[in-house]
Amino acid sequence: MDSKRRPNPLFLPAAGLFLLLFVLPMAGLVVESLRTYVPGRIGSAEGAPFTAANYAELVKPSFAVFFFQTLRLSLAAALVGVFCALPLAHWTARKLSPRWRTLAIGFFVTLMFLSVLVRTYALELTFGAVGPLGPALRAIGISTNSRGYIEILVAAGLLHYIIPMSTLTLLATFQNVDPRLTDAAQVLGAPAWKAHLTITLPLCIRGILAAFLFGFTFSISAFVIPMILGKGRVLFISNLIYTRFSEIANYPSGAAISVVLFVLAMLLVYVMTHLVNKRWAQ
Amino acid sequence: MPAEPIIRFDSVTKSFGALAAVDGISFAAVAGETIALLGPSGCGKTTTLRLIAGFEDPDRGTIEIAGESMIGKRPYERNVGLLFQHYALFPHMTVAENIAYGLRHRHWPKAEIATRTTEMLRLVQLDGFGPRRPQQLSGGQQQRVALARVLATKPRLVLLDEPLSALDAKLREELRLELKQILAATGSTTIVVTHDQDEAMGLADRIIVMNRGRIEQQGAPAEIYAKPASRFVASFMGRSNWLDGTAKATHRGPFANVVLDNGLILNIANPGLADDTPVSLGIRPERITLGQPADEDRVTGANQFGGQILGVTDMGAETHYRVTSPAGPLTVVRPNSGEHRFTAGEPVRLGFCAEDCLVFPHPAAPR
Amino acid sequence: MTPRRADDIIRFLCKLMNCAIVLFLLTPIIVTTLMAFDARDYLGPLPPPALSFRWFTAFFSDSYFLKGLAISLKLAACSVAISLTAGIATAYATDQTTFRGKDALIAFFLSPLVVPPVVTGFALLLFLSKIGVIDGFARLLCGHIIITIPYTIRATLAALSGIDRSYTEAALILGATKRRAFWDVTFPLARTGIISGAIFAFAISMDDVAVSIMLTDAKTYTLPIALISSMRANFDLSIAAASVMLMAMTVLLIVILEKLIGLNRAIGQGVFR
Repeated sequence: MDSKRRPNPLFLPAAGLFLLLFVLPMAGLVVESLRTYVPGRIGSAEGAPFTAANYAELVKPSFAVFFFQTLRLSLAAALVGVFCALPLAHWTARKLSPRWRTLAIGFFVTLMFLSVLVRTYALELTFGAVGPLGPALRAIGISTNSRGYIEILVAAGLLHYIIPMSTLTLLATFQNVDPRLTDAAQVLGAPAWKAHLTITLPLCIRGILAAFLFGFTFSISAFVIPMILGKGRVLFISNLIYTRFSEIANYPSGAAISVVLFVLAMLLVYVMTHLVNKRWAQ
Repeated sequence: MPAEPIIRFDSVTKSFGALAAVDGISFAAVAGETIALLGPSGCGKTTTLRLIAGFEDPDRGTIEIAGESMIGKRPYERNVGLLFQHYALFPHMTVAENIAYGLRHRHWPKAEIATRTTEMLRLVQLDGFGPRRPQQLSGGQQQRVALARVLATKPRLVLLDEPLSALDAKLREELRLELKQILAATGSTTIVVTHDQDEAMGLADRIIVMNRGRIEQQGAPAEIYAKPASRFVASFMGRSNWLDGTAKATHRGPFANVVLDNGLILNIANPGLADDTPVSLGIRPERITLGQPADEDRVTGANQFGGQILGVTDMGAETHYRVTSPAGPLTVVRPNSGEHRFTAGEPVRLGFCAEDCLVFPHPAAPR
Repeated sequence: MTPRRADDIIRFLCKLMNCAIVLFLLTPIIVTTLMAFDARDYLGPLPPPALSFRWFTAFFSDSYFLKGLAISLKLAACSVAISLTAGIATAYATDQTTFRGKDALIAFFLSPLVVPPVVTGFALLLFLSKIGVIDGFARLLCGHIIITIPYTIRATLAALSGIDRSYTEAALILGATKRRAFWDVTFPLARTGIISGAIFAFAISMDDVAVSIMLTDAKTYTLPIALISSMRANFDLSIAAASVMLMAMTVLLIVILEKLIGLNRAIGQGVFR
């Protein structure tokens, strides 16, 4: 039919919303990031001169440290998350009866859906300084106020989401690997762990990589978790954008950081879709 | 006076990208006729069906239904019925609602819709199944509901897309007879699309064999089986023993020879090819007669030689033999109707007629 | 060490790890639930000596929270209604048709999913201030539409593409126009998928902090914003009570999704069990 060749105009309402609420704001963000900042003024002046200074200052150590911190903790959380999720997903996929598996999947899905506020509050309440575990932690010599502990707490916040998410991703992956392959490897003389290392893992590498990249992308754009659990001492890029806006109203600088974070996230998504889908798509 | 065709295709072409799915095909069907479009997957038969139904428009050529051009007509403006391969019964409607769906869109009065629905359910022997959901029915019952839905609107033309392929083998045979009966009872003009030669031969008055978007041959089922027009048709319809050789002595009247690659000379009906043309020679397994070495009465045909039974497979109604011969190993099928049954290792005499040799230019050679 | 022994040790270590992980995932939830029912008016060691509903009462008598809850519900309802309408219209426009740039258009409609929400929020803040939208609710609504609309579009498209094309074709050849076929056949079959998309979108809107925090003002704020600011101010256990209620809501939502589309299908069933 001829009507198949041209789009129906009904997609226009959504396109209009996207233009107004997404495309124009994002374009405005880029423009704002190039404006000169006038201290004491909210937002850049109309027609303020263009400058690259907002980007240039990001390489200064005082800024770079936030980027470094975000990347370091995100990388650690994503790696640990996938490492923890591997045995958990395998156990759920292979060792549980259908009834228990449905329950386990329900548990992971619930954890994934859990409000980020509830998650951070529960972790703070349980492992934070004022929580009921506080005295116990102090008793074994862990200072709940040390920088190291706060970093671990932030990572734990990220992991509380990453682990269920990675488990579900890997669960789907494991379910697509024929269990007879590892059986065959064991009949051929490989111990179970070697069979998994040489058969299951290579076959699941796409799923593992996808889970890792997903966890990493989630972490670098995390906002609430470092905001609450970081107690102002561990800040992520997202938090930096917010403080630029809320504390000193330096919009151009906030916009520049936003653009950098946006590019970083897009880069990761690009790698995720292209590397994972194409290189390993046999 | 020839009857006015219900459907007429005239040099219709439809391409998807660079691929011509249907490449200049022409055919027609008259009222009450059942035609089968038969071919392997990708031969263009499904595209032909979708062109008739109006899901695709042809790039070139004309499609007429009852003398009216269908170019640019939407599916719902054509009044043709289509039985989908997996029936496509609407799962959120009852059986009766499914059957009534087409009538509702033709704005029939409510009472008449109810009468017609009951009538259709009776026709397919599913009285009282109206309030059920399609999912509650067996595969065979679903197929009959789908047929009732198609026929309810009295379409000018009924299209069947692999109508029996979703059923298991036993049920298939039963429903094929029933389907044929119902179509005959309603006097429907029908086009069946299938890749299954049994389905085509069992349902159709006329078969159109398609390959790579073109029509290879059309004719009555028995005619196509006995006199295939090409090597493709011969190998797609039924099985054959294929031997390679060269045509010889083709100028000498009704008979000619094929010299096989191993030197054996066979007698064939003159294929009308030039001398020295490389050819493929096919013999249907059931056209070869078998007898004991001395048994010259039972073994008939212009081509006779000795051989030995290699293997025997008893299929119940018939026996399949694998036989060595000077022409190479051959498959022979004999009915189990009191004939002597051979055992493996037994020496035998084989024979087949010159007329039973299907000779085509070798596919690798230029035509 | 024999391979057999190594196998046993590794198997044991994996089991231990699994237990530890489940414990880590579960403990905060259990602790929070226990604390929410704590009868003491200070934070004390576990387990609480007595249980009560006092923190739940406290939550519901706090006008600050209640106002946030009311705004959140209103905001979620409005933004889901808008993005669902736009989503269904888009899916209808693109379903079963091919035109140049269709894949790119769909990828574009899903792209807010991968933009860090803080960036989306900040960009909207700049834009809305520039064009002079100062009403708090309108600003929040803009933000919530753009974060919910990819979910409704994605769910509707997935639901529609999961429907065998022959259903629509059957309707067409039985005499329905393309529009009738959509409303008679395609839409009813896609309904559960579309509803689950709406539930997703509602949950996303109710839970959002990063976009809302940029667009909120002193008088117009959502429940998560209210919770987060009092969380930073003092350690009041009525937040634990709120958390328990939010958890209960999450579980309810999962149960509804399970009944609606089945969790196994939602996360994709594998080929081998």
